[in-house]
Amino acid sequence: MSTQLDLKEIERKAFRATYQDGLWDMYLGLVIAAMGIFIYRPEGGYSPANIVLMLALFSLAYALFWAGKRFITLPRMGQVHFGEMRKRRKTRLALALGVVVLIQVVILSLTVMGWLNPQVATKLNTFLQTRDLMDLAVASIGSLIVGVGMILMAFFNDFPRGYYIAIMMSLAVFLMIWLNQPVYALVIGGLTMLPGLVLLVRFLRKYPLPRNEASYE
Amino acid sequence: MSESNEGPDLSTLTKVDRLVHEPARLAVMALLYVVDSADFTFIMNQTGLTWGNLSAHLSKLEEAGYVLVEKSFVGRRPNTNLRLSEAGRAAFREYRVSMKGALDNLPE
Repeated sequence: MSTQLDLKEIERKAFRATYQDGLWDMYLGLVIAAMGIFIYRPEGGYSPANIVLMLALFSLAYALFWAGKRFITLPRMGQVHFGEMRKRRKTRLALALGVVVLIQVVILSLTVMGWLNPQVATKLNTFLQTRDLMDLAVASIGSLIVGVGMILMAFFNDFPRGYYIAIMMSLAVFLMIWLNQPVYALVIGGLTMLPGLVLLVRFLRKYPLPRNEASYE
Repeated sequence: MSESNEGPDLSTLTKVDRLVHEPARLAVMALLYVVDSADFTFIMNQTGLTWGNLSAHLSKLEEAGYVLVEKSFVGRRPNTNLRLSEAGRAAFREYRVSMKGALDNLPE
């Protein structure tokens, strides 16, 4: 018998088991697709349809995620509540994301202030001579912010596939802003969902629905 | 003075809590020690025990006061939620210390 009872590893294994169903991957894949619709700037100008479609897709993604957890995962895998360590990590994640949002607000404020200042605006326009270069700069900043946020989520939520999703999400935002074609976000969203779908099929095979075994006497 | 007196105290091994020491119960207690609470299905999946086996071990742990059992319904399905009691946590901690003390100092 090993004298090392690695409790951290037991806890991590139990925690990561909650990601086995692939629902997070599919949810975030749909979020990427929704972001693509939101960021897309049609030739005829930005319309409320962008926002309505995005909200509809976000709502659909969340509804599917919730229903999947409620009706597929929990009856098969059971329910678990984690202890203080996970709660602390959640708090740290919230703080870290708060810092990211703060940085976003600062960048946005500085940009607006810069453009409102004629001297800075002239300098910026000279530096970013073409529309393409401007889009490239905005795309880089946008993807960096989204990527960092998602990497933080992956780290604090102990979700290794989250790093892949962070890369995909960054790429989607970058291509969407730079090239302004929603197809990139849809394709990348699909590529993010794919591993989730494979995991879900594997999960359903591994954990059949128990007959009446959630209780004991 | 003989060398055996300076070695690990093996008498602690004979005094470990046998209720915790049984491998299946040890797995259940280790899992419940690291989480706040878990239901029957989750423990069954994580430990790989069968329904009957887990049920029998949980009954023993519940009788000893190591595990707190909360029965409810999730939708129409009965659900058993489990958590370690303070006594269970203390027993598991003590077991861990005893085993570590007795086995960690053995020569390779």
